[in-house]
Amino acid sequence: MRIVSRKTLLLFFLPGAIFMAMFLIYPIFKMAIDSFYKFDVYTNEKLFVGLDNYIKAFTDGSFLIPLKNTFIYVFFAVSIETIIGMALALILVNEFRGSKLIRSLLLSPLMIAPIIAGLTWRLMFNSNFGIINQILRNVGILKKATDTITWLADKELALVAAIIADVWLTVPFMMLVFLAGLQSIDKGILEAAKIDGVNFFENLFYIKFPAIKQIILTAISIRLIDAARTFDIIYVMVDEQVTVISTVIYKTLVKYNRTGYASAMALIFIIFFVVFTLVFLRNMWRPSKGGS
Amino acid sequence: MTKNKLTKNLIIILATFLLLVWLFPYLYLVSSAFKPSQEVFSTPVKFFPTRLSLENFRNMFERMPFFKYLFNSISAAILSTILAVSLGSLSAYAIARTTGKRLSLFMLVLVLMMKMIPISSIAVPIYEIVMDLGIYDTKLALVIVYAAINIPFVIWMMISFYSNIPTSIDEAAAIDGASNLATFRKIIFPIVLPGIMSASIFTLFLSLNDFLIALLLTSVEAKTFTVAISEFVNSYNYDLGPMMAGAFLFSFPVIVISFMAQKYIVSGMTSGSIK
Repeated sequence: MRIVSRKTLLLFFLPGAIFMAMFLIYPIFKMAIDSFYKFDVYTNEKLFVGLDNYIKAFTDGSFLIPLKNTFIYVFFAVSIETIIGMALALILVNEFRGSKLIRSLLLSPLMIAPIIAGLTWRLMFNSNFGIINQILRNVGILKKATDTITWLADKELALVAAIIADVWLTVPFMMLVFLAGLQSIDKGILEAAKIDGVNFFENLFYIKFPAIKQIILTAISIRLIDAARTFDIIYVMVDEQVTVISTVIYKTLVKYNRTGYASAMALIFIIFFVVFTLVFLRNMWRPSKGGS
Repeated sequence: MTKNKLTKNLIIILATFLLLVWLFPYLYLVSSAFKPSQEVFSTPVKFFPTRLSLENFRNMFERMPFFKYLFNSISAAILSTILAVSLGSLSAYAIARTTGKRLSLFMLVLVLMMKMIPISSIAVPIYEIVMDLGIYDTKLALVIVYAAINIPFVIWMMISFYSNIPTSIDEAAAIDGASNLATFRKIIFPIVLPGIMSASIFTLFLSLNDFLIALLLTSVEAKTFTVAISEFVNSYNYDLGPMMAGAFLFSFPVIVISFMAQKYIVSGMTSGSIK
């Protein structure tokens, strides 16, 4: 028996679907077409250029450098977040006086706007009035009172600074997910391991990690995607020094008004995400219900 | 026993240390906001203000119509949340109750993909659509676009809640002669209310914290707070104090609310990754 009539289902589904079609699906098709054209900066006249925009993307530094930066950013940010997030989860899975409060407080940056995080770290990394350099002076890493590290003026250090801001903002998420995973492990298994006298690392690598492997991989996948599309932190913190794919697409459109080239870059970027999502679905995602 | 006690103390010390490290940037934001305006640029840099001052706040209010931008942010976030959550939760119900397994899986995958599309990449056509509709720099544009990009998110979150409800409940209601809409409103809706709360809080914060869409689609009238505060860095460093004052006023309520609504946020955050 059909529980809900087909007509009703369609009626329920359509309004949301129309929004998604208009602002998420249509744009992709439009870009796919635009990416084969060159738009005149002044008259906005279209000129068919075939694959020129794509060829340019894969041979020109204007796309390849942001691509490289994005990879570095994603790789380091997500690795560090995973390690620190797991360490925090392993610490906080132990109940002690105040553990609940510490957990709640650690979760407080969770909802802070990325832009606020970017601006705060921009202030902290300021070469003259930033507290990071002051701390480095106080602990003796910077020798003289006049020594400074120009964090945000150097291409490599700026990327490091942005990664640190990203880590700060998202470690709470990682901790939260890992903690939920660790708490879901069957207590009996952990008891048995204790009786068998396994040491801390055996416990970690042979019991805990395998038990929550799925959760770890899913959390990492979510973060890989989010880190790859980071815009806010990079834009407000280190825009002069570092471009990543999302900022270069934005600037190519808004500053240089090159719609065709921006569309081509955006489409490459989207294809990358779609492929990643499909791989993610095939290998890691097991819907709890349905599928089959 | 003593070894256990030692590890326990070590854990507490480590946890407290990490907590302090993690709170440091935010506490620094707060303390900078309340410093006298000169002190933000004095060396050596001090963590605590020498005296509490509201100068930065005064300068910030002089520099920008704070409440106008805040109102833009909040109203766009609330309206788009209502739109996204109502449309999204209905669509999710339809997908969850579609009898064709292949069809529902296909729709689910489609939704997931849309959720993962980087907004920066579809910025180009979204900008053009908004221009064509003649709603550039209006709150309406923000509401519609925020709703559209948050709908996949709401669907994704709500499906897991619907899937947990056995279809026998729908069936029983249908046999009792309730219409589909009545079934949804009277029986399903109350059960998934916690899920709707989570989805609402999440989309609310996502829209409130948005920067890119507002940067792209507004200029004067509908400008949101996040865009306004980002402009403080353009005019070079000398506005860092007022900037931190603004950042404090914007983020402090967010922190308080998320502290109180932590239950919902936690279930929203973990719903995508656990089961």
